[in-house]
Amino acid sequence: MSHSVEHPILDPTLAAPFPKAALPVLRDPQLRKNVAHAIDVIQTKRGKLVAEKTDWQELRSAAADIRTHVLENLGAYLEQFEERCTAAGGHVHCASDAAEARQIILDILREENASEVIKIKTMTSGEIQLNPFLQASGVGVFETDLAEIILQLGNEEPSHIVVPALHINRSQVREIFAKSMGRPELSDDPQALTEAARIYLRRKFLDIPSAISGANYLVAETGGVVIVESEGNGRMCLTLPKTLITLAGIEKVVPRFEDLEVMLQVLARSATGERMNPYTSLWSGVTPGDGPQNFHVVLLDNARSSILGKPRERQTLRCIRCAACINACPVYRQTGGHAYGSVYPGPIGAILTPQLMQMRHAQSLPYASSLCGACYEVCPVKINIPEILIDLRAQVIDQQRHNIGRFFDPLYLGLRIAGFLFSRAFLFHAAQRLGRVGAGLFTHKDGWIHSMPSVGGKWTQTRDLRGFPNQTFREWWQNRPARSSTQIAKEPK
Amino acid sequence: MSVTQGSRAKVLDRIRSATASVAADAANLHELHAAIPRSYIRKGELSESAKIALLIERLRDYDADVVECKLEELPDTIAAMLSASGRHTFGAPSGLPAAWMPSGFDWKLDGGLTHEQIEVLDGVVTGASCAVADSGTIVLHHTPSEGRRVLTLLPDWHLCILYADQVVETLPEYFARVQHPPALVTWISGPSATADIEMTRIKGVHGPRHLNVILVHH
Repeated sequence: MSHSVEHPILDPTLAAPFPKAALPVLRDPQLRKNVAHAIDVIQTKRGKLVAEKTDWQELRSAAADIRTHVLENLGAYLEQFEERCTAAGGHVHCASDAAEARQIILDILREENASEVIKIKTMTSGEIQLNPFLQASGVGVFETDLAEIILQLGNEEPSHIVVPALHINRSQVREIFAKSMGRPELSDDPQALTEAARIYLRRKFLDIPSAISGANYLVAETGGVVIVESEGNGRMCLTLPKTLITLAGIEKVVPRFEDLEVMLQVLARSATGERMNPYTSLWSGVTPGDGPQNFHVVLLDNARSSILGKPRERQTLRCIRCAACINACPVYRQTGGHAYGSVYPGPIGAILTPQLMQMRHAQSLPYASSLCGACYEVCPVKINIPEILIDLRAQVIDQQRHNIGRFFDPLYLGLRIAGFLFSRAFLFHAAQRLGRVGAGLFTHKDGWIHSMPSVGGKWTQTRDLRGFPNQTFREWWQNRPARSSTQIAKEPK
Repeated sequence: MSVTQGSRAKVLDRIRSATASVAADAANLHELHAAIPRSYIRKGELSESAKIALLIERLRDYDADVVECKLEELPDTIAAMLSASGRHTFGAPSGLPAAWMPSGFDWKLDGGLTHEQIEVLDGVVTGASCAVADSGTIVLHHTPSEGRRVLTLLPDWHLCILYADQVVETLPEYFARVQHPPALVTWISGPSATADIEMTRIKGVHGPRHLNVILVHH
């Protein structure tokens, strides 16, 4: 496959900066077509169903308020969840970071002598890079969401948090399935491909006694866990195995059962443009005779508590992973998901990933945005993503203040020089006159600069620059015909 | 090998200090939560018949088959639907009313059927706890007449019997009806589906590919 030549890296500690990582996609017309098609379909469906909901803005406000309330009181609600879940027969673990979460999960599987595990799609497991760890530890991992199977069998990486294989088209899926399932006769009809996945997984659901899931919500009041899905692979994993391990970020809590009346309404419409997704499951602990009798919840911090401590950034944790911001983003539409170098792409990834990395990696991501605000407008929990992007940019600049290398950075030097010139009027005027002469050499007849040499080319390689005007405002002001104050008073209103 | 509880104290400490300036006293928590403004639509305004019509429209929109009948017609309607399906062996939850199991079919009553035994069933017949018209959602609380979760999962064909008075218009109305949150809830909105390949909606992946509903008028 053409885009497998440069395998994308979704580890923020290793990934290339965004502008560089975006290049393979920008050069792959098939990939861009696949992404644009998928986004168009979702956006049309979402638009129609959101318009149908006359109380959409009220639902958004309530959803944002519920999430804010939870985050401000997270300690109390997490303890309540732990207490109720434990009382219902579940085991609750807390993982400080990714390594600890991986180890807890492996220990549980080892205790069960599990050599294989089935999985419901969970972004959090991608965040902690669970699959490669389990596989290296001798546990076979089988993804069960259709998109995740495509990625796993095709050795591909997810490029979206709700439809992770949206960058792969039907003929590419056919190729992957035909090869890995040994079924060269398969057609590229989505119906046939879906049927192939059903057959491929049926025995695994019935035979593999351990499963791993994420969580859409944790209900503090009941100790319950909610999984929102479409295919039924989730229900299979939640119902058939003997052991179930749920990995959830600490921020996933909602206070009460009835809060789901808001959270479920906003999630399905935002994520897939449906009134309600086909299947939503809620279970609390262990129910005798029904479902897994050995149930564990692993609550993951992994830098979330450090985000929680910052008043402005805290709203990042309201996120319910619906991907509405990703679908609305003009930058994502052009670059697809891999450029973000993390399992969380798009606007939410641009604010979440650097913060999860505690600003030690992924510093290019806050700049992967035009700040157009489309993400904020569609967010069902009203996360002001542009505001956080700007704040993170400031933090990146602050980091560079202590970097010796900054003296070799043209941008830094340019701004320092500009700062010196602009704070001294006579130098500023001289610079204006000089600039007019200098820029005149590059200005086209139409008044625009289409290309500049050296550092200036960084601007003009993607956009034009307006040429300098023939006179500055000050020059015009000084040269204007004098008028008396009475004339000004007589100006018509 | 024992499994550790992990870093519980450490994580909780970090959370508490991160929220120290904004967290409320435990005593006020309930009050603060209750004070969250909820100006969204909680109660629907449709008439009884319009509400039922909306549910049927939304269910059919998801490709579910819906039939209406009067209470006294229910056994015959069930028999007719089972016959029309061309299927023979059906699973029944332990608490399914005997009147809902017409003769002429092979019934497997769930008293601890194995997964393999459920897997080979042609279909399953169950009741429901509630239905939400606005989103075309059927809600199962997995009571004795609704069965264990696996029973409505492995068989490819599901017939769900719903009384008209179980239908509410909005999702918040469902939540208002639930006094004590049950341990298990499944919200079903149409048969299983996926759009993972080029966003083309394909009906039927792992759950039942055929959802049938009988709506019973009193």
